[in-house]
Formats: sequence, C-alpha cells, structure tokens
Amino acid sequence: MVKIVTDSGSDITPELARELDIAVVPLYLAFGEKTYRDGVDISADEFYARLVNEHVHPTTSAPSPGDFASVYRELAADNDEIISIHISKKLSATYDAALGGKEQLAGTKCRIEVVDSQSVTTGLGLIVIAAAQAAARGSSLKQVLEVVQKATRQVRLVGLLDTLRYLAKGGRLGKAASLLGAMLNVKALLILKDGEIHPLGVVRTLEKGLDRLCESARAMTDIQDVGLGYSTPTDGLQKLAERLRSLLPHIHPRVLRIGPALGVHGGPGALILALRGE
Amino acid sequence: MKQSIVCDGEQLRDMFAAGSAWLEKSVPDINAINVFPVPDGDTGTNMFLTMCAVMEEADRVADRNVAAMARAMAQGALMGARGNSGVILSQFFRGLARGVDGKESINGGDWAAALNEASRTAYKGLSQPVEGTMLTVIREAAKAAEEAAATNPEDIISITEAAVKAAKESVARTPLLLPVLREAGVVDAGGQGIYVLLEGVLYYLKGELEGMKYRRPELVTSGLAGSAIISGISDETEEAYGYCTNFLLEGNKLNPDRIRRRLERKGKSVVVVGDENTVRVHIHTYDPGGVIRYATSLGTLHQLQIQNMDDQHVSFLEMQQERASKLEIGIVAVVSGEGLIEVFRSLGAAAIVPGGQTMNPSVEEILRAVESVPSPRVIVLPNNKNIVPAATQVQSLTSKEVVVVPSKTIPQGVAALIAFNYEGTLEENVRAMEAAMCAVKTVEITHAVRNTQIKGVKVKEGQAIAILDDSDLVAAADDVNEALLEALERVGVESAEVITLYHGNGIEISKTEQVVAELRNRYPEKQIESVFGGQPHYYYIVSLE
Repeated sequence: MVKIVTDSGSDITPELARELDIAVVPLYLAFGEKTYRDGVDISADEFYARLVNEHVHPTTSAPSPGDFASVYRELAADNDEIISIHISKKLSATYDAALGGKEQLAGTKCRIEVVDSQSVTTGLGLIVIAAAQAAARGSSLKQVLEVVQKATRQVRLVGLLDTLRYLAKGGRLGKAASLLGAMLNVKALLILKDGEIHPLGVVRTLEKGLDRLCESARAMTDIQDVGLGYSTPTDGLQKLAERLRSLLPHIHPRVLRIGPALGVHGGPGALILALRGE
Repeated sequence: MKQSIVCDGEQLRDMFAAGSAWLEKSVPDINAINVFPVPDGDTGTNMFLTMCAVMEEADRVADRNVAAMARAMAQGALMGARGNSGVILSQFFRGLARGVDGKESINGGDWAAALNEASRTAYKGLSQPVEGTMLTVIREAAKAAEEAAATNPEDIISITEAAVKAAKESVARTPLLLPVLREAGVVDAGGQGIYVLLEGVLYYLKGELEGMKYRRPELVTSGLAGSAIISGISDETEEAYGYCTNFLLEGNKLNPDRIRRRLERKGKSVVVVGDENTVRVHIHTYDPGGVIRYATSLGTLHQLQIQNMDDQHVSFLEMQQERASKLEIGIVAVVSGEGLIEVFRSLGAAAIVPGGQTMNPSVEEILRAVESVPSPRVIVLPNNKNIVPAATQVQSLTSKEVVVVPSKTIPQGVAALIAFNYEGTLEENVRAMEAAMCAVKTVEITHAVRNTQIKGVKVKEGQAIAILDDSDLVAAADDVNEALLEALERVGVESAEVITLYHGNGIEISKTEQVVAELRNRYPEKQIESVFGGQPHYYYIVSLE
C-alpha cells in the first residue's frame, strides 16, 4: 500500500492521522531560544496563549532533511512506495527539506514522491486526506499521485483574519502587504493562489466576513469535501459552521485546528474555509 | 615563503568552529537583511543553529581522519538544518564530505576540489536553484579557490583567501541578480552568511583567532543606489517630515520675512531667503498643496520640486508593500489630514493626492498620482464633490484606464475602498464600490462662518454645525459634541452597524473621548470606533455604515 507522509502544516489531527494512516512530520516552532516540535512538544491552546501574551514573536522552521530521512527510513522497512505532500514551497522550506530527506534514501528499493501541494493548513489537509483515502482503497502510486495532483488544482482556500498583525510580524504577508497595518478595525480576507497568499479584501464586521467566505462556497460547484480551520474557538466558527450547514446540507465539514506552524501567522480568531471540488 | 599546510579531521573541525563563532557575531546583521525567499528575518539564526548542529556532531568524532570528520559534519547538518539556508548548508556539507571521501588529510588542492563538490551538491539539492543567493556565493567562492589552487595547490591559505575575496564580491553582486534584493536595497542574507563563515575559516588558517575576539564581521554592501538601510539614513540634521518642498518664487514686493512666518505654521525646517522680486523657499510639510497655493497667490513658481521624505526612510515592511502593490487595479484617493491619509494607505490606496474641502487639487496633481501607480487600471476616489470634475478630466489625459468612483465624503471613500475586491474586474469593483458608497451616511461637524437660517435651523456665526452627506444642515449648537449628538438623533442610526468617528486637528482629545463615551452609552449595540483623522476644517467626520 502507498504510504502518505505530510508535515504538521497540514493541520491533520492525531486522530485523523491514525484513522487514515498518515505520517505527520512536525515543523519547528521557536519562542526565542527555546524550540518546540509543532503539535508534539506544545499544544495549540498553550501556543495561542503564549502568542498573544508574550513579547517574543515565535518563528517557525521546516523539519530538517534528516527528520524526513528518518521518517522515510522507518516507513521504508515495510513499504515500497511513499508519497510525501507538503506546504507550498513559496511559503516554506519544507518541500526542499523533504527532497533532501528523499535523497538520503537513494539506492534503497523504496520509491518516494515528494509533492508541492501549493497549499497550506486546512487546504493541504484536504489534499492529504484525499490521498490517504485513495491509498486506503488500494490505488497504485500512479493513481494516488493523480488524485493528489487533481486535488491540488481543485482546492480553494480562503481565510478571514481577525487581525493582520501576526502575518505582518512573520513576514508572510506577501501580496497582502498592501493591507498592512490597517488603522481601522478591519478583518482581512485572504486567498491562496498559485501557492501564495493574496489579499481578497477587507470587511468591517464578522457577518460581512462570513458572507464573503460563503460566497466562495457558492461560487464553486461539485464540492466534495470541506475543511473548516480555526485558530481559537470563537462565535465566528459556530456561525460559519451553521451557514455551511444550510449552504451545503449534504456535506459534513471537517473541523481542524490551525496548528502553531500556521497560527504564528494567522493569530487568534482566524477562520479558514477550504473547499475541494471535483 | 610557501605555506604548506595539510589539514586533518581535527583541523577541519576547528576551521568551521572558527567560522561558526565568526558567523554568530553576524547573526543580527544577517537577520536584518533577510528578504528572500521569505522576509522573516531568521536566516542568520537558521544558519547559526545549523552550524551548531554541525559542530556538535563534529565534536563527537574521535578520529583524526578528515573523511570521517566531514561525514559527521554532514550528518549534523542534515539533522539540524533549519530553514532554507540550513537546507542549502546541509547540501554544502554533504558535498564537502563527498569531496574528501577516502582521504586521511587534505592539502589546498583537495580543499578547493571539495568546495567545488560542495557547490555542485548544493545546486542539485534545490528544486529551483535561484541565482543571487547563497548558492551563487558558494559557487563563485569555490571557483576562485579552484583557480588559486591551479597555480599553487599547496598553499591552503592563499586558496582560502581567494575564496573569501570572491565570496565577498559575489555577495556585493547579489542585488544585480535578484530583483527582490535590489528593491529592498540589501545583499543576500544567506550569501552574507557564507562569506562570514569562510572568513572565519580563513582566520583560523592564518592563526588569527585572537584578532576575531574584538572585531565583528563586516556586512557587505552592494554600493547600489537604494542601499540606504545599511549605510544608514542620510546624515542631514533636518527632521524628516512629510514632503520636502523647494521652489523659487518670483513676484513684486515680496516680503521674505512675512512668507517665512506664514510658512512656519505649515511645516518644519523652513528656509526662506531672497529679496522683493525673488524668494527661494524650502520647507518640510505634510501639505505641499497648501504651501504652493499660498505661494502662487503671491507670484509665479519656478523650479518646483516636491519629494516625499518618507521615501528616504523606507522600512522593510514598506518596501515589501511597494513591491507587493503591483496589482492590476490601483486606487488613487484625494485626502487631507495625516490620520486619514494613513487610513487610506492602510486600506490599500496606492497613491494619495493631498487635498479636500477648500483645497482642491489640480487636474495635474491627480494625473501625476494616477501615472505614479504601477497598475494599468486606476480607480480615483475624489472624496469631495468639488474634486469630482477634476478627477473626471484625468480620464482623457492618460493612456491608463481610469474610472472615477464619485465619492463625495471621506466616509464614502473609505466604504468604497473597503468594498474593493482584489480578485474582481474593474467593472465589478466599480459597481461594488459605488454600492458601498451609497450605503454609508456621513455627518461632518464644522463651524458656521456667518449668521444664517437654513431649513428652519437658526445658525449663529461660530456655532458648531452638522452637515449630512455634504448637503443638508441637520443641527447647530454652541458645543461641538452637542451638535454631533443632536445630528445623530436627527439622522437616525438604526440601520448602522458601525459608527466611526474621525477626529480632526481642531479638537482636543479629551473632548473626543467624552463624545465617544456618550455614543457608547447611547448606542450600546453598535460597534463604535474613534480614529485620529487629523483633517483640517472638520472637527469630526462621522461615518454610519
């Protein structure tokens, strides 16, 4: 069976990872000198509390090529085929680190395919889930790769940030930089396009923000899977879930916690809507 | 005398230990110039942490064999690589290990060959190698080492010297190769790290470790224009302040002293010299339009120059902002008041034309702003009905596609700007912005300039008056806050979700706080925000959305 590997930037929960047999390699998170493995050494609750209250802004970094090599090596003992799916390489060094890890296993009989998902967080999560489901059906490496590539093209990711402060601090603002430091109390809408974060616009109120998120859902036909990402529990999460229930009654959205690796940039109160079409 | 040094494993370890120690000193500098691939300011930290992992692994090796040492170091880099620069370093050490494979010790020629193998491996390790980064620096340093080794393969010091020199020159050239660096006015952070690392190695080889203690690695500068951040901001003692405005004023019976006194109220660093026919003026002002209007009332202007001084004080984030704002559609807004200008900027307006009530900008000023925006399509927000005609004229004067969304007040302009959808077409955006503009109500509070009576409201000169949507007088009172509260009662705030109060230059902050507290008290269910607008003319501009 094809083995699926991803990084903690996918926000795949430990339960999902167990259920779908996905190996999740943690990113690193540093508050000053102290380094933590995302989701292993630090919980999301602890992380967001520190993000908000501490003066030191945490930074994230990709797993090392060696981290990937050891995961691959372990899996290679029982598997001949691995597909490793990662954060958009425009946003993180994770993809290159995974390639470095793969190189370490050159010459072994295990075949490893490293894929740039061009997505992140809940969007990456949906791609990984689709891959794991295909693998569980017994699909071949080639078939699973096709599923991944198709999913990569068809995942749409929109986000509503309560504040742009954290994205700006981490330097990940990208094209959204034109919205930087809004003086008014606005919430920012972002969209992931070609593996990068782009601005979609701003809104004054939560309700208007949710309207805009739902517009994305309405604009898409044949929605197969929906991911609902949140950094800290808010009214917004409940309201978005309710709206999606009436908008897409046949779909049960997967609610995923935005982990530290991405939460560093999104900050508290962030909502993400990921949609996978057919 | 020819220096012939042969390195074993321990020496290789100590070379890089010195390199790491030297690198550590440069970490803050390297972090500060980190703009590529992601401007997150951690390249120095990542490289140093990776080197720590390299040295930790190296310290565990008991063997004096250089191949074993290099292998251990490569393993350390592999496990400890942090970030993009760490991944490249891990490839570098992997190549280095490959280059010295099977050797007990190495001479200069072997060292140069190993550096070249390191360079090749580093390139191969990346899915998309980019020139103008640490890869280029590694390659050019290795090439210089190889050339030096061809003439004198025994002399590891002069070989390393050649590599360090080439690395430094290569770092200085990185902005020529990578536009992101050029725009930010910096050299590549990772490249700088490689240069410092190799220089530390050289210090060790030359036996100059003592000298490193009291010195710091040099931060290479590109020598290109725009590298203001590193070389420091201009050393002029004048305070940076808005626009640096210079011109020659020609007229009759000019009075330089009176002009100076008048201009001193409009800005800082005022210099006025001349006689009654010719006066040279220099001023730093937030309102060059006001200065120029005043000057043109006295005579004719020549050699006019206006420079935004903030341009000379650009921070990283602002530079990113500029780089990022090359969008399909740009927005130009006519605004006055430093706070309001900031509000429009922060919401994505690409250019601001200073102006507003009683100081309408010229067609040419708006045209210049439209041309300055790097987008082929431009939406203009005049934010005043008297400016709409000038803005409309710009359409026929430029090759750009220009649409005027006829906002008549600041709140209408803000509402239109907020409705902008970055993914939408020009037509879709114009429609959405006009709809948003119409959904907002504006109340402006100013004072009456004469006694009058409008629609049954009696007004005495000097009284505070409230105007709805730039047309109807809705309240008059002796007190500014009273006029505002009364106006909101008359206008009705039921349909509004957000009430935003922009307070102007002519009102004390304590006065504003009072009225905001009262608003929160009266309308507890509304989202009420108070923002410094700094606008002239209006005590308050209130938006009801």
